[in-house]
Amino acid sequence: MGLLFPGALYYLLALIPALALAYLVRERPRRVVVSSVLAFRALRARRGQRFGGWPRLDWMFFVEMLIIALAVLAIAGPYVTRTGNPIAVVLDDSAAMQAAIAPGRTRFDSARAALTEALAREGPGEVNLYLTAPQPHRAGPPFASAAEASAALANLHPADTPSDQAALSGLLSGLASDTRLRRVIYAGARPLATPALPPRIEAFASSDPLPNYAIGSFVLRRESLGQAALHARLTVANFSPAAQTLQLAITGDGRPVGHAQAHLEPGQIGAIEFPNLAPAGIYRASLAPADGFALDNVAWATAGAVKSISILFVTPTPADAAGLEGLPGISVRVASPSSFSPKDLASADLAIFEYAVPKEMPPVNTLLVMPPPGDPVFGFNVQPAAHVEITGWPPTGPLTDSVNFRLLNLHGGEYLGQHQWLQAIVTGSGGALMLAGERSGHRIVALGFNPFPYLGRQNLPMSVLTLNSLSYLAGFGAETAGYHTGDPWIVPAGVDAIVPPDGRKIKVTPGMLFTGANFQGLYQLVSSDGAKSLRAVNLANLRVSDLENTPAMKIEASGSGAMAEVAPRRLSVTSDFILAIVALVILEALIAYRRRRPVVTV
Amino acid sequence: MLGLPEEFTPDFLARLEHLRIRTRREFEGLGKGAHLSPRRGSSLEFSDFRHYALGDDFRFIDWGLYGRTDKLYIKLFKEEEDLLTYIFLDASASMGLPEADRKFPMAVATALAFAYVALAQGDRVMIRVLAGDGKAATPGFVYGRHRIVELAQRLGAIRPAGQLDLATALARELVSIRRAGKVFVISDYLMMINSVTRGLGLFTAANMDVTAVQILGGAEMAGAGLAGDVELVDAESGERVMASIGNRERAQYRETLARLSREIRTFCLRRGLHYTLYTTDLNFHDFFLRASADFGLRRH
Repeated sequence: MGLLFPGALYYLLALIPALALAYLVRERPRRVVVSSVLAFRALRARRGQRFGGWPRLDWMFFVEMLIIALAVLAIAGPYVTRTGNPIAVVLDDSAAMQAAIAPGRTRFDSARAALTEALAREGPGEVNLYLTAPQPHRAGPPFASAAEASAALANLHPADTPSDQAALSGLLSGLASDTRLRRVIYAGARPLATPALPPRIEAFASSDPLPNYAIGSFVLRRESLGQAALHARLTVANFSPAAQTLQLAITGDGRPVGHAQAHLEPGQIGAIEFPNLAPAGIYRASLAPADGFALDNVAWATAGAVKSISILFVTPTPADAAGLEGLPGISVRVASPSSFSPKDLASADLAIFEYAVPKEMPPVNTLLVMPPPGDPVFGFNVQPAAHVEITGWPPTGPLTDSVNFRLLNLHGGEYLGQHQWLQAIVTGSGGALMLAGERSGHRIVALGFNPFPYLGRQNLPMSVLTLNSLSYLAGFGAETAGYHTGDPWIVPAGVDAIVPPDGRKIKVTPGMLFTGANFQGLYQLVSSDGAKSLRAVNLANLRVSDLENTPAMKIEASGSGAMAEVAPRRLSVTSDFILAIVALVILEALIAYRRRRPVVTV
Repeated sequence: MLGLPEEFTPDFLARLEHLRIRTRREFEGLGKGAHLSPRRGSSLEFSDFRHYALGDDFRFIDWGLYGRTDKLYIKLFKEEEDLLTYIFLDASASMGLPEADRKFPMAVATALAFAYVALAQGDRVMIRVLAGDGKAATPGFVYGRHRIVELAQRLGAIRPAGQLDLATALARELVSIRRAGKVFVISDYLMMINSVTRGLGLFTAANMDVTAVQILGGAEMAGAGLAGDVELVDAESGERVMASIGNRERAQYRETLARLSREIRTFCLRRGLHYTLYTTDLNFHDFFLRASADFGLRRH
């Protein structure tokens, strides 16, 4: 440590005595009004005014002396000298590092121990610590010494996320090519595949094959509208050298709701279906037998993901909306075309416009029932007809499956003709009667006849067609990949806080990218009105779960490999002194506040 | 309750009803009462004989004495009259400090308790406030227990203020007193001892039966709130004393205060006065009822 301007220390000679003098001058007693000074007169003779004597050397005096000393030192420009080339340490903290290699000892423990041992061999110099999950990144500012870095390593834990292998490879290649680095130490799950590494690069790989059984994905869906039970599909894998019968159990809100088993050959991946899961809020799947990588033996899913469908029904005849509300998982809001505003669609999952069309392209999936002619948004070529007849339909398709079109008895309607971007699904003698397509990422279905009101079994063919249409618009039947650890989300509208499985509350704003889903489990999404919804996040990555086959990672080290000498650097520590001064000033203010008293009456 | 201090609970008032003022000598009153008077009267208490004179009531002739002496003597009896009770209340600025100790409210409560005892037994009470702020014109003697409310309201309006020289103030009051009686002087007596002795001595010289009640605050006695270098200002005289107060000085202060009280007590005992010290950290009810004998009160 040194000083840029050591002459500033002479200020100390003047300022400290000045402080003492100030204390002598300001040593004024506080005034206390008493009922009588009779009993105090005797005390006056013993001790009276202090001026001219020693100042009262209390806490305040020493705190102020320290502040002045620090201020003078800060003026003198203190710095510390860093010599030697820095070291880069890369620690793989991805989910695969949680795998146990021995009872009570994980790959991560092994890698950390190897790094600590390697750092102990290093001399003085800065240490840059990099972590790999979910993306390679530097863990804070450089550590001043290997000892500090080792202490920081002791507090690290592996995440539940996989690491981006391409990015990690790029980071290691970059570090290997950086000739300023004295040493690059890597410890992770994957070995390095470079044949001729520079000698200053040291790698510790915990890549021994480990048998592992894993849940790959856990998907819940409601297969069709009107069905209360959910359908679960899980993929399971046997990454072990022997065939194994895997037991899979599902609980719903803590109660067993499903159990199945699958016999899988080594390396085989299978799927287990639970077509009729009892309704519950939270589902937890667990796999047996247990293995050394517990993270992928458990998976979560929430029924909230299979949410109810909110429909905005815009119609001049509100009675037509009756019947839909009786369907499970559906809520219907009715509006007249005159009172409809595009803002109404903000809270709707899909919209139905009967005898009406919106004045702009709707931002949700939409069913148009007998749209009026001449609208500028969709531009239908409408041909009204007193009697329409269906002549063609595809035998299979999400909209027409299980619909017996021969039994449909249509009276009035309109032919929709050819359309620029909507495909004809059902046609009649005068043109298309059902169109479907996508625009701006949203599905649009147009009908030339009116399926409403929904009559259920009383009009089964039409009801099946209606349910098919709504299912298609609501996105039913399509599997979603779910949420994976490490993947960022867009924060949904209305959510202002997220509570991860560890219980911390993270403030968020709707629309922002949430990158904190690094741990498997249930995340609570808290709305501004206090409403809470759950979101399940799983590892669901069978490549990570395959601990039997860990491919080597290729890195490319460019340059000569010789280390470039780095000149000693002076790092200013003035900011540290200023921080200490601020802290002491706050301390003094607190002391002064406690002492500040008005005139006391005793 | 009815404008009385909060200390005057129904239970406390009931206990006061059982107390009577006891005097060490007999005083002439202004009307019929329960105290023996030096006047001749019609009580059952024998006083003296005198020769029979024409017109005397035959019923008071002592016939036994006539049989022995062959002379007619009339038996004389003492008169029973009310007692004139004077209560002097110190309302100087020192009585208001420390505020937390509530010295003055306790002094008012003590004065009203004495007044109630006297009024309840049919005596006449005069309360005089020495110094103080917000004083209304104090009435002369009041009579009848219902007047306690009026007294409480008058005393409740007074705020401690001003400076008091006890000897001078009591001398001024003594001039206006025509008849001797029972005197209560309630003060913190935080003043020079000679002022106290001169003031109280005036009443003893006037053949009054005096009770001195000293009221000090609990925090005041302990010297609480005083630490470090302080400039002490006398609430009455404005005198300033610079002092540096630590534990030793606080102990010395307490010792000095205790010594002042002892001196007043010694003076009172030597001159036949009643003396009681009340520190406001004690329960008022317990103090008053327990110290009733020290006040010169008795139970009946």
